[in-house]
Order: sequence, then structure tokens, then C-alpha cells
Amino acid sequence: MLVFLELSNNTLFVYYLISNLVYLGLLITSIVSSAQHQRRLASIRLEGLKTSPFVPSISLLVPAHNEEACIADSVRSLLALDYPEFEVIVVNDGSRDRTLEVLQSEFQLRETDILYVPEAPCRPVRGVYMSATEPRLLVVDKESGGSKADATNAALNAASSQYVCVLDADAILEPDALIRIMAPMFGGQRVVAAGGIVRAINGCRVTDGRMAEARLPRGRLETMQVVEYLRAFLIGREGWAYFNLLLIISGAFGVFERNLLRQIGGYRPKAIGEDIDLVVRLHRHLREQEEDYRISFVPDPVCWTEVPPDLRSLASQRARWQKGIMDVLWKNRDMVFNPRYGRIGMIALPYHWVWEMLAPVIELVGYSTIIAAALLGVLNRDFFVLFLLFGYAFATLISIGGVLQEEITYRRYQNWRDVARLVGYCFLEHFPYRQMHLWWRLKGMWQYLRGDFHWQPLRRAGFQKT
Amino acid sequence: MRSVSDFVRWLGPAQYVLDAVALTVVLIALLLVFILYRRARRARYLKMRDRRTLDVRRQWHGILDGRVPPELWRFDPLSREIVETILADRLEVAGQDEAEALRHMVRSTGLLDARIHEARALRGWRRRQALVALGRMRAPEAVPALAEALDDGNEETRLAALRGLGRAAIPAAAEPILERLLHDPGFVRRVPARPLLNALLACSRPRPQTLLPYVRAASDKLRPLLARVLGEVATADLDDDLLLLASDPLAEVRASAARALAEAKPRLALLALSSLAYDAEWFVRLRAVVALGELREPRAIPVLIETLCDPNRYVRLRSAAALARLEGRLEEITAQVLETRDRYALQALVSELERSGDVERLVEALADPKRRATAEAALLGALRAGTQRMLLDALARHPQSRVRKAVARLLARSKDPRLKAPVERLAASARTPRERRLARWLLAQLRDPRAPQPEPRPAGVAA
Repeated sequence: MLVFLELSNNTLFVYYLISNLVYLGLLITSIVSSAQHQRRLASIRLEGLKTSPFVPSISLLVPAHNEEACIADSVRSLLALDYPEFEVIVVNDGSRDRTLEVLQSEFQLRETDILYVPEAPCRPVRGVYMSATEPRLLVVDKESGGSKADATNAALNAASSQYVCVLDADAILEPDALIRIMAPMFGGQRVVAAGGIVRAINGCRVTDGRMAEARLPRGRLETMQVVEYLRAFLIGREGWAYFNLLLIISGAFGVFERNLLRQIGGYRPKAIGEDIDLVVRLHRHLREQEEDYRISFVPDPVCWTEVPPDLRSLASQRARWQKGIMDVLWKNRDMVFNPRYGRIGMIALPYHWVWEMLAPVIELVGYSTIIAAALLGVLNRDFFVLFLLFGYAFATLISIGGVLQEEITYRRYQNWRDVARLVGYCFLEHFPYRQMHLWWRLKGMWQYLRGDFHWQPLRRAGFQKT
Repeated sequence: MRSVSDFVRWLGPAQYVLDAVALTVVLIALLLVFILYRRARRARYLKMRDRRTLDVRRQWHGILDGRVPPELWRFDPLSREIVETILADRLEVAGQDEAEALRHMVRSTGLLDARIHEARALRGWRRRQALVALGRMRAPEAVPALAEALDDGNEETRLAALRGLGRAAIPAAAEPILERLLHDPGFVRRVPARPLLNALLACSRPRPQTLLPYVRAASDKLRPLLARVLGEVATADLDDDLLLLASDPLAEVRASAARALAEAKPRLALLALSSLAYDAEWFVRLRAVVALGELREPRAIPVLIETLCDPNRYVRLRSAAALARLEGRLEEITAQVLETRDRYALQALVSELERSGDVERLVEALADPKRRATAEAALLGALRAGTQRMLLDALARHPQSRVRKAVARLLARSKDPRLKAPVERLAASARTPRERRLARWLLAQLRDPRAPQPEPRPAGVAA
């Protein structure tokens, strides 16, 4: 027993050490990467691109399920984006509310018989509508497929542009977000997909479907998520993308080559985490074709979206994320340590297996062995306290790194008080939020192993409109 | 109670953890101090920059004509940056005289030489920054330094040089790019396509003729790329050359020629575009139809009506848009489209007419005895294609009772059963007895079983 405890504690020590070193590496890389991005951006004249005939066209894919309250505002705000050539394709995914009727009355829809080839699998389409007032709008009405992937596939089948941008129906994009997210496509290497940053809209002031003032949310839970998002996007995604190891592009805002998406059959309709599933399948396809490509993260095009305002919704969301990652990693287990898949198979996927998917189990084992060692009287208390202190301080350092990245680059939060609060929450998120998070992820794992893939829609509080 | 040194000794190898904790705490403190310091410094810097920009703007005329000696601002990095930014911004919008004065200042103050030196001597991102800034000065002397960087081993530097040449936006800057494209087969792989196209577009816009010899001499692989740029910058002077491109064996080149012909003289363009509108490739037809729309030439109506029945949806939609741009010909066009008996063509046209507000003009024509017959025929066609809503609005809200009555007669003639429900609602919500009487009369006509059946819908064609 004692040998087991010692072995377990030593393994955990090495595990946390590697985890921390990787995060430190990502923090440094992300600072270098965003500095390079800023310099590169300085040489691109975004205003010029907005009028260039050589900017590729984009189809914005907006799956909507029971979104009658916000769909008209969302579509209007998307149509007002600053980009030379784009179309908006809204998919009414079997809504039981008046989503389609609202669109019909607001945009004078009329049924059309356009050629619709269901290349990507999805539930049957009931009708395709065009707007009499807005030529860039197309609405696809289909039977509910019970997943965002299914609805997005229907939109993908109707898309006619070179690139598609996948969005959430309640997301708000900044006016120049499209031109900014397309910036990597104007570089040398072939960029097949790019993700933008997703930020929490809770607490912000929105006017006419546009972000008027970025503020931190008032609630503790929401502010905690802001810190998490800054760390995940500005350190995690930025750092991984630098080495072309990015495995996830948020489903709320990402751009992809349309033909490539069709080649791989669009989204997997049964995928739980459709966003990570798609990116891993893209890597698989492109590596198998031996293509030279990049999947980028662009930190400045911002998509604002609502984060769960209550514990119940947050728990459900995090459990779903855990199920999503398990689903993807298990389905692609043949890629792990397979040299054919290059750095994705040798680094990114193994890291995600050990430090993402199994993290809740390892953390739980860690807590258990520490308690067991304490009960058996073999716990070196001083060492334990020191190690705990180190873990706390290091995690705080990384979170403050996220705030620093925000400060030295994009500075969306102008108010001093907001920045002070953000820093304060970097110290507070480790207890009890982290433990709650562990519990939710364990629940997600349990649900996945039991085959419970049921998806619960999140409760939305709605954002502050003026 | 152990002393600190005893404690550290007792820890053994674990003292590294203690060191790590201490280091992390120090790092946290440093990050916090840095955030605070940077916020404060940035606020101060922005304030200072605003003040200095205001000063420079106040003295701008003096700086421009040399009354303010360059030594006063050239050696201060912030002032130089501000002057350079204002200069480059002005150069992008200046007319010829002002641009000359600005370029003279760039040369006489040594700004241009300094940037040329930096573009050659510096390395890394500083060089890239200098290359783009040099391009923004729009001076021919900058071209050799920018061209040299096009052959640099670093991809980012080549890209910066390309952007610099594009920002120069002078024909001389297009030549090094075109020469390399033609004579260096590897060049097109060394630079990304979109920035290349953008740079060529900006440089050849002032004199599109620069492109012609290169388009003629280019290989099949390169010609579509150059023709694409030419399509965007072409002017009426290029007529004959464009006609040659319109008969090119490559579809991409023909599409670009069609795009360019929108700028040519209508007499010449009409013939070539009419032929391109029946091309085997849909994107050539699309570009031809768009160009015909831009010509606004009534002689193009027969061709546009035929392309309105094109099997491709985008060609149909663009044909409808092109037809809707021909003012004063609405009734004639609608009548001809009705004759085609193509449901999709009619739908495309009606959608376009609704968008452009032309349906409202047709409603107005109902009150004019001379135009009534053609307007009625056109509106009946529109009604079949699903434009009930606008006509019902006219019935309820049009200020002229003559027009309201004419619309009611028209709706009664349509015998469209889908109208019953909205007309019932209209009758129920009528504000005046006269409106109510009109709505009830219409309802009675729509319900009358002795009345003739609705006219059959025209047969459609496959999408």
C-alpha cells in the first residue's frame, strides 16, 4: 500500500510538473505569437482589403433552434458586417417556436426551388427560402436533427462561397471580425481553417445588435468564466496554433474552406463536440493526403456570446464538453502515436488524452492518495503544503498571464476596476470553482460511459440591450 | 521550533519546490506591477502622442514647405512617426498637385532616403516595417529597394515587399512584379496569390495598359491571373485588346474579359457580351450578364431575357438585377418574361422588382389609362410569382382611391384562393366604410363560384 501511495504521489508530481511546464511554454509562445501577429497586421491595410475584389467570399452558417427572440436582430447584425462579399444562411432546425415566422415577416421570405444537393448528411429539408428584401439572405427550413452539427451540414449544403463561417445564432460579431479572421488567408501558407476569439457578452452593453461597451459581468460565476476564456483562448489556442497543433476551433466562430469541409462530409451529425470533432477530422484528412496546411487561431476578431449564468447550465455545458472530448479522442485513437499523422498524432492527441480527457480522473486519484497518505500517516505535510502552494501560485500565474495578454494586446476591458476584478478572480478561481469543475467533468465522463448523450439547451439570461 | 535554515536543510531535494514557489510569487508580483505600469505608461504615451499630433497638424503647412526645419522633428522618433503617418495618409487621397508637393517634401527632408536605407540595411520585422512604410511614400525611387526585397530568402520579407509595392500604387511598382512573374517560374510559388493580385491591382490601376504586353506574353498558367487583374482595372481605351481576350480559349480569361467589357464603349461591348452570355461555362455567362447590366443598354433586353431562363440560379438572379436596372422599360420587360412561361425566370424578376421598389411603380401605373393594360398584365404575373403582400398593402394603404380600386379589380381577376384570408382580415380591420365596402366586394369576387377559375400557373423549368 505504501509503495503504491509513493508511486502514485511521484507520478502525480511528474504529471503536474509537465502540465505546468507546458502551460508556461504556451504562455511564452502566445506572447511571442501575438506580438508577431500585431506586427504582421500593421503591414496589412484592412481598409484596402474591404474594397478588394480578390477577397474570397464567405457564407455565414447560422443554425437556429428555437431562437425567435433573437434571430431577427442576429441576422440584421450579421448583414451589417463589414466584408465585401458574403451571404447569410440561416437554418431553422425544426424550431417549435416562431423562428421561421419571424424570419418570414422580417425579411419577406419566399420559397425558392434552388438546387440543393445534400452532400453533407443531415435531416430532410422542408424548404429553402430567399428574401425579397435582402439578396444575401437564404433560409433553410429542415426537420430537427437534435444537434448543431446536423443543422450546420444543411447550411453547408446550401453554401456557395469559397469559405464558410460557422456561428451561433445568438453570437454577436464585431463589425470587422470577418476581415480580421480572414487575414491569415492572405499569407503564404495554405490556411484551411481559422478560429477567432470568443468572449463573454454577459454584462456588456449591446446597441442595435452591436457591442457598444465591453464590461465584466457582475456575477461571480460569469467573471470566473471570463478568466477561463482569456486563458483558454489567448494562451492555450494561441500557443497551440503557433506550432500548428490546434485541435479545436470554437463552434461559435470559425472559418473553414468550404470544399474541404464537403470533402470530409461536413460535420459528423452524431458528434457530441462537433467543433473539436471537425478539426481532428480535418487534420486526419489533410495528413492522409500529405497536404501542407495550417489551422490558425486569430486573436483579434471577436465573437461575443453569452456564457452560462447559473451553476446548473454551466455544469451541463462542462459535462457536455467532457463528453465531446472523450467521443473525439476515442473515435480517433488510431491516430495517437501514429507517425503518419505527424505532430498531431505524436504530440497534440497524446497531450489531450493525458492532460485533458483523463485530467479529472488523475486529479481525483491525486486527492484520494493524498487523503489516504494523510490517514496512514505517511504524508509529508510540509512538502504537501509547499506543493499545494506551488500549484496554487503557478495556476494563478498562468491566469494572470491571460489577463496580461489581454492587456498588452487587445484591451477590450478599458475600465480600471474591470481589470482589477479580473486579476482578483485569478486568485479566487482555484477553490471551490476548480473542484466543482472537476465534479462536472467526472459527471460528463460517467454519462459518456453510460451512453447518455442527451443534450440539454443552456438557459440564457439575455444580454443588456439599449 | 525549527529555524528557517533547519527547515530548508530538512526539506532536502524538496527545497526546489520552495524555490519554485518563491519564484512563482515573484513572477506574479512582477506581472501585476507590469500590468499596472503598462496601463499608466500607455495612458501617458497616448496623451503625449495626441498632444504631439495636434502640434504637428498645426504646423503642417510649415513642415510641408520647409519653414519648420526638418531637424526639429526628424530626429525625434515619435514626431517622425507622426509626420510620416500623416504624410502617407494624405498621399493615399491627395490629388496630383498635392501629391507632388508631398513627394517633394519626402525627398527634401531625407525621409525617403532614410527609409530606403532602412529597407536595405535592417533585418527582421524592422525591415518589413520599413518596406511597407517605404511603399506608402509612393515614390518611384523606392521601387528598386522594394524589388530587391522581393527576392529575399524570408517569406515574411517577400510578403512585406509585395505589400509595399502594392501600397506604392504606381505603374513603376508593377513592373518588377510582372517581370518576375514572366521570367522567374518559381516566383509565383514564392509569393502568396492574394497579396500578389492586390499589389498588381493597386499598381496597374493608374495605367492598365502596363498589363497588356504581359497578358499577351503570359503562359496558359499565368494568363488567367493577369487577365483577372486586367478585368478589374480596365478602361474604355482598351477596347480592341479586350475583344481579343473575349475569344481566348481559357474560360477564366473570357470571364475576366467580360468583367472588363463593362467599362468598354457600349457599341463594341454589347456584341462581345451578347456572345459571352451564351458561353458554355456558367461563370463566363454570369460575368457577361453582370457586365450587360452595368452597360444599362436597352438593346441588351432580348439577351437578358434569355439568360433569365438560364439553368444556373446565379445567372438568372443577375439577369433579373440587370433587367431591373433598365428604367422605363418595366412593363415591356415583364410582358416579355411572361411570354417565356418560365416560372423561375418570373420569380427571379419579381423578387428583383420588389427589392428595387419597381412593383410600387407598377401599382402607380394602374391609375394611368394609357399604361393600365400593360401594368395589369405585369402585376398579374407578379401576383402569380407570389407578390400578394405588396398588392394587399397597396389595397389597404394607397392614398389614391382610384389605385386602391384598380388593385381590388386586379386581385379579383386573379381569383387566387390564398388571398381570401388576408382580405377577410382587411375587411375586419377597415377604418372607413368605403374601405370596408371595397374589401367586402373583393371578398365576394374571390368567393364567387360562378367566376372563372384562376389562370393556370405557367410550367416551370428544372432548376
